[in-house]
Amino acid sequence: MGARKTPKSKAEVLDVEFSPVSPDQSETKKRRRGEEKEKGENESGVRWGGEFEVGDDVYVKRREDANSDDEIPELEECRVCFKAGKAVMVECDDCLGGFHLKCLKPPLKTVPEGDWICGFCEARKLGREVQLPRPPPGKKLARTLRDKLLSSDLWAAHIESIWKEADGSYWFRGQWYTIPEETSAGRQPHNLRRELYQTNDFADIEMESIIRHCYVMNPKEYAKAHDEGDDIFMCEYEYDIQWHSFKRLADIDNGDEEGDDSDIDEDWKSSKDAEASSAHELAANSRKGKFFGLQKIGTKRIPEHVRCHKQTELEKAKAALVLAKLPKSLPCRNKEMEEISAFVKGAICDNQCLGRCLYIHGVPGTGKTMSVLAVMRNLKSEVDAGSIRPYCFVDVNGLKLASPENIYRVIYEALTGHRVSWKKALHLLNERFSEGKRNGKEDDRPCILLIDELDLLVTRNQSVLYNILDWPTKPHSKLIVIGIANTMDLPEKLLPRISSRMGIQRVCFGPYNYQQLQEIISSRLKGINAFEKQAIEFASRKVAAISGDARRALEICRRAAEIADYHIKKLSSNHNPAPEGKGLVGMSEVEAAIHEMFQAPHIQVMRSCSKLSKIFLAAMVYELYKTGMAETSFEKLAMTVSCICTSNAEAFPGWDILLKVGCMLGESRIILCEPGARHSLQKLQLNFPSDDVSFALKDSKEIPWLAKYL
Amino acid sequence: MGIENLAEKAQILIRSRLCSPNFIFKPLSDSTDSNYSKLKFIISSSIMEACNNSILLLGPRGSGKVAVLELVLSDLLEEYPDTITVIRLNGLLHSEDNSALKEIARQLCMEHHLLFSKMASFDDNSQFMIAMLRECGLAHKTVIFALDEFDLFAQGKQRLLYSLLDAMQTVTSQAVVVGVSCRLDADQLLEKRVRSRFSHRKLLFLPPSKEDVQRLLEHILSLPMDSSLACDYAAEFNEKLQSILADKRFKEIISNYLNSNSTTNHLLRFLFIAISNMELKSGFLSLENFKAALSSIQRQPKQECIKDCSILELYILVCMKRLEVREQNSYNFSSVMKEYKSVHDSFPTSDYYAQNVCLRAFEHLLQRELICFTDNRGHSQSIEFRQVKLVVSYAELQEGLKSYRSCPAILLKLIDR
Repeated sequence: MGARKTPKSKAEVLDVEFSPVSPDQSETKKRRRGEEKEKGENESGVRWGGEFEVGDDVYVKRREDANSDDEIPELEECRVCFKAGKAVMVECDDCLGGFHLKCLKPPLKTVPEGDWICGFCEARKLGREVQLPRPPPGKKLARTLRDKLLSSDLWAAHIESIWKEADGSYWFRGQWYTIPEETSAGRQPHNLRRELYQTNDFADIEMESIIRHCYVMNPKEYAKAHDEGDDIFMCEYEYDIQWHSFKRLADIDNGDEEGDDSDIDEDWKSSKDAEASSAHELAANSRKGKFFGLQKIGTKRIPEHVRCHKQTELEKAKAALVLAKLPKSLPCRNKEMEEISAFVKGAICDNQCLGRCLYIHGVPGTGKTMSVLAVMRNLKSEVDAGSIRPYCFVDVNGLKLASPENIYRVIYEALTGHRVSWKKALHLLNERFSEGKRNGKEDDRPCILLIDELDLLVTRNQSVLYNILDWPTKPHSKLIVIGIANTMDLPEKLLPRISSRMGIQRVCFGPYNYQQLQEIISSRLKGINAFEKQAIEFASRKVAAISGDARRALEICRRAAEIADYHIKKLSSNHNPAPEGKGLVGMSEVEAAIHEMFQAPHIQVMRSCSKLSKIFLAAMVYELYKTGMAETSFEKLAMTVSCICTSNAEAFPGWDILLKVGCMLGESRIILCEPGARHSLQKLQLNFPSDDVSFALKDSKEIPWLAKYL
Repeated sequence: MGIENLAEKAQILIRSRLCSPNFIFKPLSDSTDSNYSKLKFIISSSIMEACNNSILLLGPRGSGKVAVLELVLSDLLEEYPDTITVIRLNGLLHSEDNSALKEIARQLCMEHHLLFSKMASFDDNSQFMIAMLRECGLAHKTVIFALDEFDLFAQGKQRLLYSLLDAMQTVTSQAVVVGVSCRLDADQLLEKRVRSRFSHRKLLFLPPSKEDVQRLLEHILSLPMDSSLACDYAAEFNEKLQSILADKRFKEIISNYLNSNSTTNHLLRFLFIAISNMELKSGFLSLENFKAALSSIQRQPKQECIKDCSILELYILVCMKRLEVREQNSYNFSSVMKEYKSVHDSFPTSDYYAQNVCLRAFEHLLQRELICFTDNRGHSQSIEFRQVKLVVSYAELQEGLKSYRSCPAILLKLIDR
């Protein structure tokens, strides 16, 4: 054993390809057996001394009497020649068997791209009887560790902590992995061959039982893995052994939520302990911010559609346009972001660290919060790199507070982790910021406080805002406040003592213009061919003309993609072969989406409403022209209606029915009216321009004479 | 089996059809343009593609918004069992943020078999909701919030909508907010920052067209041939029904009825009465049933109120009318009494009553809402001195007097002048 020669291998990065059978988490990768990452398997001595660390994944012996390491082949043998050899091997995606390229018939020159299935599996799929090559006599096919693990003769675990017992033996606490076969749901059709589940089962294990490293990766890493050897596995889900349910591992999608994860994990543990200790169950939704029983949530089976779904271009486009998705780059806000990061850096890098205050304003959907958070992420990486001092960051949203005063409590909890009443919190915060009393070393860090929707904190005497904005002015506060709100002149509307503290430094986020919107949309759609270019331009021009709200623009495009998708799917379900259309989102779809988003539907409703409602509306317009007054009373209107009805040989329905008709119209706010109990005294007014009514009713086929009165 | 027995069975069958929205809206939902398939597509695509959406269902009352939503939800629950949690809120009950969040937490706890505490604070509940959204997203479960009377949620600070829609901007959550409202301008009620987060899908529910009504009538009223009902009875029933449906008079009745309000629900109510009127002896529907239903449903409450008045009350109404004609816009009981007295002086009849009797009659009129106080001020004043107004109009009063069984001629004369 020992170091093997590295087979030369072009590091070809395959695009993730989609196929209906294999889930997209790249079973398509060919793993070339090659150099093992870990070197000193045989370096005798205390393995656990340095080799295994907290956070590593390892194979663990299942039974005490399991055979020792020496029988375990380090390298997998070729299924044809049964030699481990140094040549490049290719892995079958179905049986995971390895083959030397030269042993194949016909021999392959390079590792093929995409899925590759060995001839045996292929034949088996076609229903033929397959004779696998027999190993040469005297040599039985050695199973690798991976084989053993996947056939549950071995275990894998994640090392949580390592310690030395009093008797000198080393132990570690491991979190088990499990193979799909051992879960309650069994192997599901979408499971990958190399898939493992992380369980919430922990055990203390002696170090002796570790065999060697394995590598359990999340799908993204797994997709990139090429030459990592035989011992790599993929893990996307956590399996709850108590409830037999699955849940995605949280930190896969975005790294910045890691903080939350650890909290929740702790909660789980503590809740489990609590449940074990106390007989009665704890309420899920209260208990000082800890939630109990969340571990119960989980799917019994992982739904197939999530993993075995071949995404079309349109679906990819829709997924890329989802607001929740954090784009890789944030175009068009570089200037503002620089300004903010300069401000924050200037504030914390000062040796004195004087408190400062920044006010950010701009209409909704212009990326205010997103930019600040992006700046904070960048700063965090700089902190990790060590170029700036550590600081603490507190993020509060005004609209998510039950009352403005609660902000003290939230800030205090974020800073120290203790929950106190808001009055106590105010007192403690005052002590900390204005009197400079610090309890621990932690407290000495500068603190950045981000308050979103600042205008919600305005109380009658504005004391909350005053307190918060007063702290930065104190000499030892080390507090930096960043306030975000929509209105430009919020500081001016406040008391002078507040505006003088807040309004000095401002950053304005103007509405996006159409080029910027276009850039934002196209940057998200990079690499996805689903939109016509003019369609994007049209949407961005339209939004820029109305609000300049990026969320709107994205939503319009998503809706347009949805409409296109809807039509395609309906067509293909109704008529057998879908006319292989362009599949591109064009102007008409965007137009429809814009129409749906911005147009009030009143004209359509007026057109389709009942006959009497139409007469009622026409009478209102008639009355409006006759008197010139916008407001009319029901009595007058009923007279007009009865005149109109008699002169056109239409039966007058009676006052009470007419009143009901008016109230129906009032309910959908086509007209504004007082409650119907006022009867003939009820005041009525059109809620839309009379031209809209005329336009809607002019050419009604049902009652052609209505046009006379419009 | 006697015909009465059969008829009763048929009646029960049709009535139960009328009361189940599933039966009514299912046949209308096949085509691609129907709201059903659009809504189902939006919700199921957000389940499949794990994204968030918010939809508004708009349309006049009785046009089947909630019915279609429920239909879609029940279909989806069947299609994706275990992956959908439906949270139902009603604006009339939960428009206040605190109670709404509490209700959401309660329903989430119920759905996932967690223990719920009513003592939890607003903060606790909102954090719980966000944590649950996250966990559900991780477990590939979609949470659907159905907000009935959506416009009522758009009052005040809109904290609930904001925190819901803001929570939906995180990657892991997988939620759909469906707002149902009869106000066409419901999305305009949202605050700017809430509206910006709302993903404006709108579905408009319109009353059925004439052809749809015809199809609906046939669909509801005709009996199935392959049920427990005797085949020949069902055939005869359907035959008679066809002749009624084709009848011109019947069409007139229906169009007359739908003239005022053409929504589906309105039609169903009418049919229910008509079916209840069905004569069990003959065992079949007849045109008379529909006619009777129309006259029993199209009532004129104010007119009937006038018909029920006593002579003295009519006198008071007429006197008030005369005051209004003279453009005396503010008057109270005393001035009405003065007018009553002067009328009586010029045309002495036996119908002259003492003031306390008149006051009692006046109070009756107030209770029946034929007259009302002009404003809400002056609760402390006694009734005699508060200003009143006539609620019924001149034309209604006149008509009412004409149709009154024994209206004194003098009253008719007085009102004409």
